[in-house]
Amino acid sequence: MVSDQVLITKESASPPPTYYNMAAALEGGAPRAHKELVKTVQLEGQVLLKIIQHCSEALPQLVTGQLLGLDVGQQLEVTDCFAFPAAVADDDVEAESAGANYQLEMMRCLREVNVDNNTVGWYQSANMGTFQTVELIETFINYHENIKKCVCIIYDPQRSARGNLALKAIRLKESFIELSKEQKLTLKGFQEARLSWRDIFVELPIKVRNSNLVQALVADLMPAPTATLADVDRLNLSVAPFLERNIQSLVECVDDIVQEQQKVSMYHKSVARQQQLYAAWLQKRRQENTQRLQDNLEALPEEDPTLFKPIPEPSMLDNYLVTNQIATYCDQINIAASEAIQKLFLMEGMQKAGL
Amino acid sequence: MAATVLLPSGSNVSVKVHPVVLLSICDAYVRRKEHQDRVIGTLLGVVVDNVIEVKNCYVVPHNESSEQVMVDVIHHKTMFDLHQKVAPHESIVGWFATGSDLYNSDALIQDFYSKESTHPVHMVVDTTLKDNKFSVQAYTSRTLALGDKVLATEFVEIPCDTIFGDIERVGVDLMLTGLNDPSPESKKETANKSFSDEAETLAASMGRLADLVAKASEYVDSVVSGRVSGEPAIGRYLADTLALVPHLTRSDFERLFNESVQDAMMVTFLSDLLRAHVALAERLGTAALPIV
Repeated sequence: MVSDQVLITKESASPPPTYYNMAAALEGGAPRAHKELVKTVQLEGQVLLKIIQHCSEALPQLVTGQLLGLDVGQQLEVTDCFAFPAAVADDDVEAESAGANYQLEMMRCLREVNVDNNTVGWYQSANMGTFQTVELIETFINYHENIKKCVCIIYDPQRSARGNLALKAIRLKESFIELSKEQKLTLKGFQEARLSWRDIFVELPIKVRNSNLVQALVADLMPAPTATLADVDRLNLSVAPFLERNIQSLVECVDDIVQEQQKVSMYHKSVARQQQLYAAWLQKRRQENTQRLQDNLEALPEEDPTLFKPIPEPSMLDNYLVTNQIATYCDQINIAASEAIQKLFLMEGMQKAGL
Repeated sequence: MAATVLLPSGSNVSVKVHPVVLLSICDAYVRRKEHQDRVIGTLLGVVVDNVIEVKNCYVVPHNESSEQVMVDVIHHKTMFDLHQKVAPHESIVGWFATGSDLYNSDALIQDFYSKESTHPVHMVVDTTLKDNKFSVQAYTSRTLALGDKVLATEFVEIPCDTIFGDIERVGVDLMLTGLNDPSPESKKETANKSFSDEAETLAASMGRLADLVAKASEYVDSVVSGRVSGEPAIGRYLADTLALVPHLTRSDFERLFNESVQDAMMVTFLSDLLRAHVALAERLGTAALPIV
């Protein structure tokens, strides 16, 4: 089977390819201008395993990688992926261009072996489910300029160590993208567009699909039906440390929200103060003007833009992101706590059965 | 005095393969170019004692006919450099080829890879599904030399096994669930199985544990009734395991149980409270109002 290859048409000049801007260094044309939105994500088995392997081995560092595949109508098929080298912290120009070079080289080599050469997004590992950052949004918007449909897969290796696969696919909501393009991320902007903090990200359901050959392989490889270490982890009764970590992060988030609140108060206060100053100045100006009119001089203008610059309203984006974060943590806590209760009741049942 | 045929003894190497590698090979086979029969590529991994662990692989384009073989060395080197940036501890441990048998040209390719690594492993992945079985075999090569002259290269089979990390096992399990349903409609539905179906996975785990305990107790029964001669090592192991089960008095257990349940419930309550608070703030618009 020879997959459709997208013709590499344009090679965009790369702005400094930092982690956020790596998308802009891509070569790849958008295949068709679809107005449909992505509704589901389909992963191939090997992509799943590669992501798991890369993210787990790189702990405690958080890593990223690129996803390649095709978009087919409402479904985004991810057929391959490769890892990015660990992000270099310094602002060395060489290091950044090395990152872009890595990407180009990798894509070229993969093209030679008939791998789909179409970027559809990226994956990253997250720590305890914290992924809602401003960088994520910036990366999304960067990608969006080149590819209309892109998705980000978040993998949480620590939650997966408890026996359940913590993988989710997210993309930004269309309305949010338009809003951010117009730079109207203030409260009024959000209210006009009727967006709440829930409407920034959209989580997409993931399917796993394998070619027939791979299915035969997997059937042959069928893991042993006996209990394994993963089972032992899953049945572990101690849920306290996990909950503790989650609650700690939650507390930090609440602190962040309070800080955001304070920023808003500051803004209001400074606006009020500016109004006062302006009123005083205006009065003085008027007095001066009456004076000058008496002396038969021209009246000075009553406005002075340079003295009273309008104070920029703080962006509500951080606030919303932190709220999103809180929601994620609460979800995780609920799931973990209910699981713990299930296990405890199971144990009680076993005790009562007369062991 | 005839010159002795030197047969250097290979060390007892064995190979362990991660499932990622096998899946990538299958994928590459499906994507091969039209005129090619088989796909070859490089294996990356680590060597620990006498065990070679294959963790990653990439495909190298090649061209072979009955007389000669051409391998794209530049591609191989470039990909290796790229992979080194991501995983510097992995090194070249050998190469793979799809197909069911060894080819004549394999000796030449093996030669090339011996320059890259000391004991290159040649892995053959049978994608033609001969005998209705998916076989993966590993070979290492021995040169048969007569004095100084190299006569032939012999491929000696070494044991090859698939290892699963624990999390990989979860991933593979997930792929299996989409497999067990033969009809296409239900395949689509089971393929939509949500990742966080915690209760079901918990039930499955409990089932497996129960199986294990049943097996152990069956074994003990058969030893006691004299059907099977007991091994002291197993007996001691079982005794140790049972000794680990804590004996709690009823009141102790009740106390522990209640405390844990209360903790879990309190945490759930707090998190729900927080969500309600945030939702209220949003409705009332107080999130964006100044603190008075």
